[in-house]
Amino acid sequence: MFDIKKYIFTFVITAAIFATAFFTSTFFSNKRVETVKSIQDNIAIDILSSETQFSLLGEVPCSNVNDSSLSPELSTLGDKLSKTENERGSTDTDVVYLKKYYSLLQIKDYILSKKLVEKCGVAKKPVFIIYFYSNKGDCADCQKEGFVLTRLKEIYPDLRVYSFDYNLELAAIDSMKAIYRIKSSLPALVIEDKTYIGFKSIEDLETLLPDTLKVATSTTATATSTKRTK
Amino acid sequence: MIENILQGLMYPFLFLSMYFQVLLLTSFFENKRKIKREEKHEIQNYPTVAVAVPCWNEEKTLGSTLDSLLALDYPKDKLSIIVVDDGSKDRTFAIAEVYAHNYPNQIKVFAKENGGKHTAVNLALENSTSDLFGCLDADSFVNKNSLKVIVSYFEADKNTMAVTPCIHIRNPHTLIQRLQAIEYLMGVFLRKAFGQLDAIQVTPGPFSIFKKEVFDKLGGYRKAHNTEDFEITLRMHKAHLKIVNSHKALVYTVGPATARGFFFQRLRWARGFLENSLDYKELFFKKEYGNFGMVTLPLAFLFMFYGLYAAIFSVYTLFSQLSTYISRWLTVGFHFRMPVFDIFYFNTTMMSFVVMVMLSMFLLVLYIGNTLSDDKQQFYRNFPIFFILYPIFVPLFLGRAIFDTFTKRKNVWVLQDTKHSL
Repeated sequence: MFDIKKYIFTFVITAAIFATAFFTSTFFSNKRVETVKSIQDNIAIDILSSETQFSLLGEVPCSNVNDSSLSPELSTLGDKLSKTENERGSTDTDVVYLKKYYSLLQIKDYILSKKLVEKCGVAKKPVFIIYFYSNKGDCADCQKEGFVLTRLKEIYPDLRVYSFDYNLELAAIDSMKAIYRIKSSLPALVIEDKTYIGFKSIEDLETLLPDTLKVATSTTATATSTKRTK
Repeated sequence: MIENILQGLMYPFLFLSMYFQVLLLTSFFENKRKIKREEKHEIQNYPTVAVAVPCWNEEKTLGSTLDSLLALDYPKDKLSIIVVDDGSKDRTFAIAEVYAHNYPNQIKVFAKENGGKHTAVNLALENSTSDLFGCLDADSFVNKNSLKVIVSYFEADKNTMAVTPCIHIRNPHTLIQRLQAIEYLMGVFLRKAFGQLDAIQVTPGPFSIFKKEVFDKLGGYRKAHNTEDFEITLRMHKAHLKIVNSHKALVYTVGPATARGFFFQRLRWARGFLENSLDYKELFFKKEYGNFGMVTLPLAFLFMFYGLYAAIFSVYTLFSQLSTYISRWLTVGFHFRMPVFDIFYFNTTMMSFVVMVMLSMFLLVLYIGNTLSDDKQQFYRNFPIFFILYPIFVPLFLGRAIFDTFTKRKNVWVLQDTKHSL
């Protein structure tokens, strides 16, 4: 016997399960955005603090400026933002907002770090790589370049990589593109103020990186291994 | 973009699949008391029963099959066994003759030219005058009390025209057989739940028992695209004849041991389902055919296509993730990284929640199947095998079955399925 009530009841239960799944997923997704925002706010405070210290440089000696306060969380923030983008999509308004915020924080960190080196000449001169990518499907090598840069950061923990979405509509990114003459052919890398277009392997990049970075890394490794053997 | 469209199309499938699962689970729980009552019915009058054993080159298993039938706890004068040798080239006929000689009052043997399973069963039907008639494949084995349990259903409800058993895979050894062990365990629940909806999908070859009048009224078995058991079920639904399931009537069947054998068996079943469903399209969406015509048959038909899509989508997702790992490996080499536990990186998409619920329901289905059956299985040991291997087979046999059906290709591959080559 065909009992329509049974089918309506089943539909209600199934719809309720789907609705619960939808709301749970939305809840966690929003929580994720809040987490990223909170990290970004912390980084913004770090940078603002460093900028303030920097403004005071005229009055205080360089020894009082702490370069370690320069946004150590930027790297993990990038990973978390990437996860959020994967889940919500690159066109999601929250994701676009977070990416713009993240890009600005990276630019500020970059400028501040450079200025600090110029004024105070910090002991370990940081090495920067500025990386322009696209995830619109028009850059076949961008994913591979991402793997290379992630690995490079593992090998050289002192390396600072700043990643920018070429297609993000943000005046500051446009200025960066203009300064380093970045056209639409991607991936594009800026190392020591020189622009390189196209995919670069680990070996290629190692030849382009200054020796100070490699020496710093090998010294750190030796120190670590010495410590372990004790 | 393409990924978004593919993913978007998955949601209606997931909704329908979950709807189907919820429907079966609610029907089951709604009738739980009735199911308990079924188990207690004692037979007052034993009807006569004839069991046909169609065989083609079954020298290895025929003896054990006949032994299991002879060991049935049922009055000997009420049970007859009809062995039909469908042109075997091995010692099948000789073995059957020995048994007929030893049990002349119970076993009859017929030999004929090879003509297919349906012809062998029909010959047995013509030579049977029993009240009930059933069939047992020569590679299947019955439990001692199975027939008694089945017969009790006919006595409990005079409208019952056929009773299906509870089938398990016999001694699953290979990975493919262990995969089938899970599939059959799922079938234990499905048959029971479908039975509560009067919507049993198939009266399987191993030991489904019918009232003889079913065949008197509807005629014998047909070739039916090499799935005669599905066709007779459709014919019964069309004639409004009631089919129920006996979850305590244990029957064991030998599942294909190799991937090739499994593939060709499923290909035959899938194509048979499609072809026969199309032959009986008049049953679709007709209220007079109840839950079977309105919901379960159309949904099962739709799932053949959506199942293929879902399997392809899963394989596509798996491969795209795999290609990312391979690309990373080729670009920077393999470097082990200690996984970092951070709740932030947990997959919290809607699809992951829906799939988790469906997986839980699937485990519940297996648990109920195991509870219903008298043969308790350690299904958790075989579940990972099923989970990994089954999605690989589904797109292969469903894709091929759909392609062959709509291009009307000849079933030359049916010869590859040794379980059907009668």
